[in-house]
Amino acid sequence: MKKLVSLLLALCLLLTVAGAMAAEDGKITIWTWDPNFNIKSMQIAKELYAKINPDVEIVIEEVLSEDIETRVTTAATSNTIDTLPDIMLCQDNSFQKMVMFYPEVYANLTGKYDYEGFPAGKLAYSTVDGQNHGIPFDAGTVVATYRTDILEQAGYTIADLTDIDWDRFIEIGKDVKAKTGLPMLTGQAGSIDMVLIMMQSCGASMFNEDGSVNFVNNEACKMVLEYYKTMCELGVFAEVNSWDAYCGTLANGSCVGTINGCWILGTVMAVPEYAGKWALTNMPKLPGVEGATHYSNNGGSSWALVNGTDIDLALDFMKMYRNVEFYNEILPTTSAIGTWAGAKEAPNYAADNEYYGAPIFATIVEYTAHVPANQTGAYYYDARGALGTAVTNYMLGGDLMSELQAAEDETNFNMGF
Amino acid sequence: MTNTTPARKKHRFWTMERKQSAAGWAFLAPASILIFIFSFWPMFQALLISFKTGKPTALKYAEPLWRNYQYMLKDKVFQQSIGNTFTYLIIQVPIMLVLAIIFASLLNNRDLKFRGLFRTCIFLPCATGLVAYSMIFRTMFELDGMINGILLNLNLINERINWLNNPNTAKAVIILGLIWRWTGYNMVFFLSGMQGIEYSIYEAARIDGANQFQQLIKITIPLLKPIILVTGIMSTNGTLQLFDESMNLTKGGPANTTITMSHYIYNKMFVGAPNFGYAAAMSFVILIMVAILSAIETKVGDKR
Repeated sequence: MKKLVSLLLALCLLLTVAGAMAAEDGKITIWTWDPNFNIKSMQIAKELYAKINPDVEIVIEEVLSEDIETRVTTAATSNTIDTLPDIMLCQDNSFQKMVMFYPEVYANLTGKYDYEGFPAGKLAYSTVDGQNHGIPFDAGTVVATYRTDILEQAGYTIADLTDIDWDRFIEIGKDVKAKTGLPMLTGQAGSIDMVLIMMQSCGASMFNEDGSVNFVNNEACKMVLEYYKTMCELGVFAEVNSWDAYCGTLANGSCVGTINGCWILGTVMAVPEYAGKWALTNMPKLPGVEGATHYSNNGGSSWALVNGTDIDLALDFMKMYRNVEFYNEILPTTSAIGTWAGAKEAPNYAADNEYYGAPIFATIVEYTAHVPANQTGAYYYDARGALGTAVTNYMLGGDLMSELQAAEDETNFNMGF
Repeated sequence: MTNTTPARKKHRFWTMERKQSAAGWAFLAPASILIFIFSFWPMFQALLISFKTGKPTALKYAEPLWRNYQYMLKDKVFQQSIGNTFTYLIIQVPIMLVLAIIFASLLNNRDLKFRGLFRTCIFLPCATGLVAYSMIFRTMFELDGMINGILLNLNLINERINWLNNPNTAKAVIILGLIWRWTGYNMVFFLSGMQGIEYSIYEAARIDGANQFQQLIKITIPLLKPIILVTGIMSTNGTLQLFDESMNLTKGGPANTTITMSHYIYNKMFVGAPNFGYAAAMSFVILIMVAILSAIETKVGDKR
């Protein structure tokens, strides 16, 4: 009896080991994280691909983005790349870091994939030393979206918030706060999404073009922080402590609106009772700054292919991301806006969105074309963490210049290794 | 010992002693080998990594060797994380141990009804996952969370307090969470220690006119000294390696004022640009701290 049990255990162990190997087996494994968004998109791609190549087995597994990065780290350092899937999604902001530190994991797709029609700004996120390692998925184009019913109570319309600057926005925000008691915007404290969105809207970023960190001499950055602090002090912008709480403020109507990457629309539209009460427009711009626009980017992700596995098969499958029918299918169910220019031809892009009662996707594609480019690099999250600390200290009463100096020193310290 | 015992039969290799010691070694070997392979060898490897620098897949020895350790002296965030961790240690561990002794002596009273129920209630937090309770504490202390709601309804505060966005209250919430989570765990040690104390000692003390408090101070605590020592060392050790609460409850914020050493090490490995050598070096500094603190506690507590 005992022998039988141990035999069975050994067999189980063997089978698990065999199951974990994602070697060249004619099967495509995909890691991605959001069931309503990128997982759903891949499922649609899988269904469409089955019509072209029905013999291929495609497995989609839900793995959080932080977990994907951790697993890449462990697989690369322990020389077990074959435990990774064939395709995995990567945040645009981490992409260069991951490729620079684990070049053996990420397949170089330059010359292997047709990049015609993808915007240069998007491709830059996954390009290292001129070599492209990613296939763009969704755009993080920033939209400003507000509850028109609340605006109406305060005597404003969506037109009053279109093509304005931040001074005017704060004026309106103060008035709305006085009349309704609600903040215009909410955001997660310490995560500085809003600060980076505002910086990118005028073409500024945390790094210089040569990759060195740029806080102290960054006039746009200083101006953004001053506006941000003013808005928080006036109650026009309310900081909450977690992502869930931020989503909560959108769902329970405790703020007028939000300014974020267009992927936030999935959260906004998840509340059926507010259907028809939201409107979408562009974000305010920084007054008196050269190159300031009403457009920015936050988030977005690209697909990475893993070296040495079924790469040709995976590349063939990824042709779906150059397929109008695919973009047309994913839009209504996931609201994922593709960055491929051909996607605009899809009939669903021009159609009215039921929830908003307006052709919002055509508007977003229009905004995408105006977004200024951004510098990320391998130390993006180090710089972001340091800037987050500076913002929090500044909000708690610290001196702006010395906080920025501290953030620059901290980032330089991390880059100095 | 073998050389002092007279060799009775020189030609026999397997003497009684040798047989016994071989059996001892045979019993010890499997566990020792496993501990060596899975615990000591990785620790040694980590020590080597702490002297290295570069990409995680192509680590090279740093120049000079102690470069990673040198960097720590300049790393303000790491120093801040040490400060935070010691704040937790100094405030939380004494409060928790005192509470645990008080609970244990209350539950040790033979006349108390529903002892089992109370014991279960106090121990129950230890059965919850660290991440789960951290998330629940975060939700409770949100701006529109339960705690603010209760305090507002009781008219104890006029407006909502943003607990997790203020350095002092955020630290207080973490300490509160730690006390809630670990008091019951330590109480169980004290309780089992107290059950080993002869009941007649208390009876004698009562005849001599000692009250409850005097019994606790004069009898229970002196006799529990070895257990207080063990729980003290375990709590010190655990607090220095604190990770889950910092990661999930406050995310180290606001502005790194609640970040712990382990959380900072994690950030250096997995959040920013990966720096294995530096992270390993910081881990070794924690190891040395734990060793020193445990040594001091043993020295102070063990006066036999």
